Amino acid sequence: MEENTARPASGTAPTSPDPKLPGPFAVGRYARKLQEELRKRARVRLIGEVAGMRRSRTQAYFELRDEEGAVPCAIWLNELDPLALPDGAFRDGAQLVVAGGPDYYRGGGQASPSFCFRATHIRPAGEGDLLARLAALRRQLHGEGLFELQKQLYRPRLPHTIGVVTAEGGAARRDLVAGLQRRGWRGTLVWAFTPVQDRHAAPAITGALQDLAALPRTDVIVVARGGGSLADLWAFCDETLCRTTALLRVPVISAVGHESDSTLIDDVAAVACSTPTHAAEAAVPLDCVAARGALPTQSRRLEAAVRAAVGGRSRRLAVLARGPSRALARQRRELNQSARELRAAGERGVRERGAKQERIASLVLERARARGRLAVTRAKATNAQALETVDRGAGQLIERRRRALSRIAVALRAHDPERTLERGYALVEDKTGEPITRADAAREARSLGVRFADGTVAARVEEDR
Amino acid sequence: MSEGSGRRPPESYEAAEERLEEIIARLDSGEAGLRETLELCREGRDLVEYCASELDEVGAGLRELRLDELAARLQESQAGASAADEPPA
Repeated sequence: MEENTARPASGTAPTSPDPKLPGPFAVGRYARKLQEELRKRARVRLIGEVAGMRRSRTQAYFELRDEEGAVPCAIWLNELDPLALPDGAFRDGAQLVVAGGPDYYRGGGQASPSFCFRATHIRPAGEGDLLARLAALRRQLHGEGLFELQKQLYRPRLPHTIGVVTAEGGAARRDLVAGLQRRGWRGTLVWAFTPVQDRHAAPAITGALQDLAALPRTDVIVVARGGGSLADLWAFCDETLCRTTALLRVPVISAVGHESDSTLIDDVAAVACSTPTHAAEAAVPLDCVAARGALPTQSRRLEAAVRAAVGGRSRRLAVLARGPSRALARQRRELNQSARELRAAGERGVRERGAKQERIASLVLERARARGRLAVTRAKATNAQALETVDRGAGQLIERRRRALSRIAVALRAHDPERTLERGYALVEDKTGEPITRADAAREARSLGVRFADGTVAARVEEDR
Repeated sequence: MSEGSGRRPPESYEAAEERLEEIIARLDSGEAGLRETLELCREGRDLVEYCASELDEVGAGLRELRLDELAARLQESQAGASAADEPPA
């Protein structure tokens, strides 16, 4: 302790004056006073690990220590023996609860003075005692954030090198190897064999962890130990060990004890497993056997993807290649259709226009007729008037002409041969009825007709020429 | 990762595995273009090869070393090296 090791002020110079303190007292009296004062101090119970135990004829001496310090203890054998501790309960490395109080041995003629914690009762530390200490330590480390550090570390799914801290002859070693082999993992294992129980265990494990983490290719470290009581597993609750583990840059997988056991290293480790077999699975998350089996499948899927991508596209390309001609055909069909429609529409249009023109023409015609009829009517009226006028004029003219005609007829009748014949004259005609007016002609004709008023008589010329 | 021949090797097995899953999911989606598909497949084949080599490396046979022996060997080699460094008397 600092107080014990503090150097006293150098007072060797003869001229140096005494400090202003009481005394000087005789040392024997002071020793007795010290003894009395210490014995007045409260009697308590201490918990810690036994170290350096030895026995004299009358007493047992030992140190009770933990990671923060130690106290020398002594118990009279006549007080120890009646306690009837079980075998192995009072030995180095054991966790004990020691009841008593501080004492001071003043020394004697030959014996050196000494301080000790005078124990009057000893018992093995129970789960309850350890759990209480563990809870306090857990709160402390958790408060410092040491539980989170390891969990943030990257853990490879397929480590190449695994460091293992365990007992050389333990079942944990065999279980771990079996677990790794079941995974199909046959990489490199670096064994760090250490004690896993007693007060030497924690420093040895701490050192092994540091050494394994310092190796260049360690991917992950497994700390394994079989089950036991909390006292047996106490090394894995060691504060230094747990702080070291928390600060390592290599992930640590703890597999300490069984499912129900909970040590502090479980809290600070990256992963806590209940058995070495589970630790093997956590150390190699990849099931190598399955992964080896999956690789050909993945290869096939890749090849299938290529085939599908290329095949699908070439099929599509083929479809697309046929596209233009199909489109052309479609266009042509559409064009034909349009043409037909256009023609039909044209014909319909022509018909409609024809009909319309007919309608217009008939209308025009009708109007023209109407106009014609009107004109005719008007003309008729005009004509009627004209006719009337004409008729009137014609009547007069006819009357005049009739009178003239009568006159001419009268005159004519006066010249009519018929009338002459009636008066007894006869007319000589040739065979054709032409009048023969000359004798020569009559002789030449030979056959003559002599026409009287009441008929014609054939005559023959008898005279020769 | 689509740089073709300039692709870096994967950082770890799981990186390779993850990328491989990504690639297969992308290919299965049918959304990748032809060029991308071919690139992805080339990358995928490399990754499968890498994974296979990694698995081979931890499949050859369990090799067991002891830390104390390693440490002793390391000390010896360091001692040897420092002795060799000393100039001859």
